[in-house]
Amino acid sequence: MALVEIRDVHKKFGRVDVLKGVSLDVEEGEIVTIIGRSGSGKSTLLRCINALESVDAGEIRVEGEKVHARMRDLKKFRQRVGIVFQAFNLFPHLKVERNITLAPLLTGRIDKAKARALAEDVLTRVGLADKIDAWPEQLSGGQQQRVAIARCLAMAPHLMLFDEVTSALDPELVGEVLKVMEAMAKQGMTMILVTHEMGFARNVADRIVFMHQGRVWEQGPPAKLFANPETPELASFIASAK
Amino acid sequence: MNFLPLWRYQNQLIDGAIVTLELTVISALFGLLIGVAGAVALKGRIKSLRWLVRGYIELFRNTPSLIQIFIVFFVLPSFGLKLPAFEAAAVALSLYFGAYSVEIIRSGLDSIPRSQVEAGQCLGLSGWQVFRHIVLPPALRNAYPAVTSQFVLLLLGTSLASQVATDELFHVAGFIESRTYRSFEVYAVICIVYFAMAMSFKALFALLGAAAFRWPRRR
Repeated sequence: MALVEIRDVHKKFGRVDVLKGVSLDVEEGEIVTIIGRSGSGKSTLLRCINALESVDAGEIRVEGEKVHARMRDLKKFRQRVGIVFQAFNLFPHLKVERNITLAPLLTGRIDKAKARALAEDVLTRVGLADKIDAWPEQLSGGQQQRVAIARCLAMAPHLMLFDEVTSALDPELVGEVLKVMEAMAKQGMTMILVTHEMGFARNVADRIVFMHQGRVWEQGPPAKLFANPETPELASFIASAK
Repeated sequence: MNFLPLWRYQNQLIDGAIVTLELTVISALFGLLIGVAGAVALKGRIKSLRWLVRGYIELFRNTPSLIQIFIVFFVLPSFGLKLPAFEAAAVALSLYFGAYSVEIIRSGLDSIPRSQVEAGQCLGLSGWQVFRHIVLPPALRNAYPAVTSQFVLLLLGTSLASQVATDELFHVAGFIESRTYRSFEVYAVICIVYFAMAMSFKALFALLGAAAFRWPRRR
């Protein structure tokens, strides 16, 4: 059984069909990168996997559990599925340590005595142990994004979703975030990434999924997909991304 | 100009200032409670309640505060609700302050981006935990300057309670003036007292704000 099973998912916003029958499986430990033009439905699909959006038709299962916005254990489910956003979304009124430990403490995952050690551990993994007492506003964009990743890691998720996490960063800050994600990939974390970083997708992903007009248009290993795109849409997308 | 005749009324002036402070603080506290409840109702799903709150806000923000005090003090007894002067003024001023507070607090809540709420939800927090730990602190910071300004306006507005014979500062001033015929001196003194109270509150709120909201502002 795949960790994530997506079956014929449809999603509309008003009259706009954003997802038109998406089906996709993601195995445990697999790194799947979703690419495609703006408006192709990549981010919406990611939000549906985390039940931030409910699907209109079809179904999504994570670890065999059907995902929807009114599921009984939604809070518990979301503790297992981390998502990192383009805009970091750190809580500006909480220091880095508290940003990381807030959810583990409130959900009862850890007690107060272990909170600082947990923050130190996940910050070390993203190379920011020295920023534990900083305010988010005192960090660069790249550092904020790494803290956002650390905040997700603190919940020990089984699956990580990344929604264009480098899009809002200055070019010189992109590398540090990608390095952290690469390290996570090597540790066997199951990851679904929406990204415009073609180099990263090519080097790190096990599989590339190209979305076009709300559908999975083409998918396969990066080497094959980038070298021999089967559809003119992917060929033109790759050419425009170079 | 002679301020000496006022000296013997210093106790009345102090008592009047205390009543003014009591009226301000009580009205502000109840007004804030109304403000929070109203803001939650305005953001809630019950349409009729939203209309009710909207009607209340428009009514109290578009009619003179003095008339609101008169209605509570003179009109409500006809319906069986007779309140002493201080209580009547406190009720009217609470409702007046509440009408402004609803909008201030609502705009504070609205200033928090939806993405912050989603980030909290995605970490597995409940609706209440997201509100309490993620939305409320920055919303309060954003609303704080407007709430404190409104508080100072309320302090100055308590002088209207003199019209229903509440023994606050302005009412005491009228009494002293009628005894001493020293209009300029009396009103100069209470003007200074109001000014000092307002400035003291501003300084106090600045200190409280700096202590409560320590995180750096967004660049």
